[in-house]
Amino acid sequence: MGGVGETAPVSTTILHQAALAVCFLCLWITIARTTQNSRLPPVQIFWRASLTILAALVLVVLILQIPGDFIVENTPAAPIVHVKSTLLSTVLAGLGFILVQRFGQLVRFRRTRRSERNWFLLILFVSLTFTAIAPFHHHFEVESSPFNLPLAGLFVLAAIGSVIFIFLNTVRLAWILRLPVKQKMGALGLGVVVICLTSATLVLLSPAFSLGPFAEQFSPYYYLAFYSLPLASVIILFITFGFVYALTSVLSMIFHLPTIGDYQRSVDEMAAMQTLTVLVREVADPEKLYHWVVSTPVDSGRGKAAWLTIQELDSGSLKPQIVAAHNIEASIADDVCDVNAIHGEAARTRTLVSIQNTSSDRRIQNGKTSGIMSLLAIPLTTRTEVLGTLFVSRDVAHAFENEDIESIGVFASQATLVLENARLLEAQFERERLASELAIAHDVQRRLLPQTIPRVSTLSLAASSTAAQEVGGDYYDLLELGDGKLAFIIADVSGKGTSAAFYMAEMQGIFQGVAQIAPDPHDFLCHVNKALGRSLEKNVFVTAIYGVLDCNSGAISIARAGHPPAAFVDVTGRTTLLRSGGLGIGLDRSDLFAQTLEVKQHVFNPGDLIALYTDGVTESRNPEGEEFGYDRLLQSIQSTRYERAQGVHDAVLQSVDQFLGAEKKYLDDLTVLIIKWHGPEPAAHDAEDDPLL
Amino acid sequence: MSNFSVAFRDAGSATILAVCGELDAHTAPELESAIKKCRDEGKSNLIVSGSELDYISSAGLGVFMAFIEEIRTLGGDIKICALKPRIFDVFDLLGFPKIYHIVETEEEALSLFEQGIQPIQGD
Repeated sequence: MGGVGETAPVSTTILHQAALAVCFLCLWITIARTTQNSRLPPVQIFWRASLTILAALVLVVLILQIPGDFIVENTPAAPIVHVKSTLLSTVLAGLGFILVQRFGQLVRFRRTRRSERNWFLLILFVSLTFTAIAPFHHHFEVESSPFNLPLAGLFVLAAIGSVIFIFLNTVRLAWILRLPVKQKMGALGLGVVVICLTSATLVLLSPAFSLGPFAEQFSPYYYLAFYSLPLASVIILFITFGFVYALTSVLSMIFHLPTIGDYQRSVDEMAAMQTLTVLVREVADPEKLYHWVVSTPVDSGRGKAAWLTIQELDSGSLKPQIVAAHNIEASIADDVCDVNAIHGEAARTRTLVSIQNTSSDRRIQNGKTSGIMSLLAIPLTTRTEVLGTLFVSRDVAHAFENEDIESIGVFASQATLVLENARLLEAQFERERLASELAIAHDVQRRLLPQTIPRVSTLSLAASSTAAQEVGGDYYDLLELGDGKLAFIIADVSGKGTSAAFYMAEMQGIFQGVAQIAPDPHDFLCHVNKALGRSLEKNVFVTAIYGVLDCNSGAISIARAGHPPAAFVDVTGRTTLLRSGGLGIGLDRSDLFAQTLEVKQHVFNPGDLIALYTDGVTESRNPEGEEFGYDRLLQSIQSTRYERAQGVHDAVLQSVDQFLGAEKKYLDDLTVLIIKWHGPEPAAHDAEDDPLL
Repeated sequence: MSNFSVAFRDAGSATILAVCGELDAHTAPELESAIKKCRDEGKSNLIVSGSELDYISSAGLGVFMAFIEEIRTLGGDIKICALKPRIFDVFDLLGFPKIYHIVETEEEALSLFEQGIQPIQGD
């Protein structure tokens, strides 16, 4: 390769330039590949750029030492000049490419669509410059072709475009902000070196330049122009870019130096906030969170001291309490400031209270001696409530700039989120704990009910109990007393839920204990009234039906203590409701209970049954608000009276479920106990049916 | 959601508490505070009039039990009147008529107070 004679036709020139373009495009791509694979930190980029320029300059000077030069412009004195110009062009093009690619990495740091577009346009305009003067080999010859004038115009436009985009791209200096101070200083020094070296290169490339001792020598520019004028323009543009970018970087770093401290502070702030966010995931301890909330504004340098007030309604006190303080004693903060009033104002207005000079605010006393001269009170507000107020103070009046206020405000909203999260988390834990406690209570209570029902050949028995909530106040039980007698009970503690469940458990203990000793219904219920009367709250009572059945004779002795009447149904379907006298247990603690309690005696005929239930059955209400009532209950019993106890029991529950409809929501505990007398000579199939729960 | 109310009315030596709606675990505290208010004002002759009472749960019944002892110690009584049959049945099953005067009308209840008839049974 080399310069073509001045007289060469335009087409040959264009062909020659195209070949050159392809060759140098290959060089460009090779350099692009290597630079893309190594993403260097900014300081390294400046360091490599300096070394590259230095190496290129040394090479240029060495190449120029080769003897042989132009006689006049574009007229080589010897063939060696072709070699010299090729070498110079290649070295300087390589330098230009490396500078653009390396600095390009900095320009495109945190790239956006816009920055990418600007970068693309820079390369495009430089390429356009190359293309526009492709027909001119060594210099403009405007007269030689009719196309030359518009092409010259295009060249000028492209060159201007290139320069504009060089400047647009060189203002992208986002990488400087992220640089630690030390590296910033390093980059600054190396940037100055790059400026010196690139400007030296540009001076070297100016047509007017000549190396001092060889005054007669031609400037390297003539070699480049002799080799290829378009390439020369590209090289100059690229090196100019390198120079301008280094210059803007250095200037920007110099201007940034005074704000490095501020920047560092905001980095610290961000770090503190991130720690806080991490913290909330790990710590559910409010004390630790409070401490973080008050220490962060101080640690980030926004405040001298900070404290947090929270109005704990649970504590019963309406006065907000200081729950954490940093760099100040909570008691001092409380003495100096009318925390109540300031918290109140911040919470009421839900906006920040800023006291720039505390000596003129009557809510602060002796601010000067305690180092509280400026004070900010930021309410920590969620959408629905005010969690607390964050106080941040400084020891100088008018110390809080707008930026401080903004920054503390942002922090406060973060802190609110964190506290709110912690609070929700705690509530969630509490709910889960309660749920698991209730689940345990539910299991315990299920075990208080009979796990198996006694097998008696003359009877069939069936029972079940469903609580409206996890635990309930209904109870039933059966106990074989020996000598063929069976004691049975159904009871209902007024109210539902946990408190009812405790009395139910007490009832179970009494039944299992007392029925053995005092099986007679009157004795038994009087004992129960006395025993429970001691522990029952004033407004709580228990209703019960207790009876003893002789499994040999079918004789039954039964008494009712305020309980809904038991239903006797005989084979013919005739129904009697047992409404014997008897107060609810706990209604009366004197002799009245014993005086009013009646005991009924009855003898079963085979096929007779007795149905015991709690008011959860008869008072079940369907969505229309209608009660299940006695009629439906008795009807379902009568229609299944020929079946064994389990059949009757199932029919009653099914009837209730049907009545309640799809939702099947029990509002009250619901218990059913069916006892059916089959007589001493039961049918063969009676025994195989196991009336379990 | 609460469909329960208590209205106060002074009638001679007694105060009539006219209850209306459904007296259950949710509404019982309203009747409770009504009775407390009477007690605090020194009114211990109370008549609970239930002509508008549609439902009473065990928690509702518990309100009467919670105060009867105290009211009687103060020399007063709680008398219940004008219950609908279905509501009376609930009181009756539990044995309330053995402990409380439950009468047909407010006038009857009032006359019980005016005649100075003692509560059924002093606790």
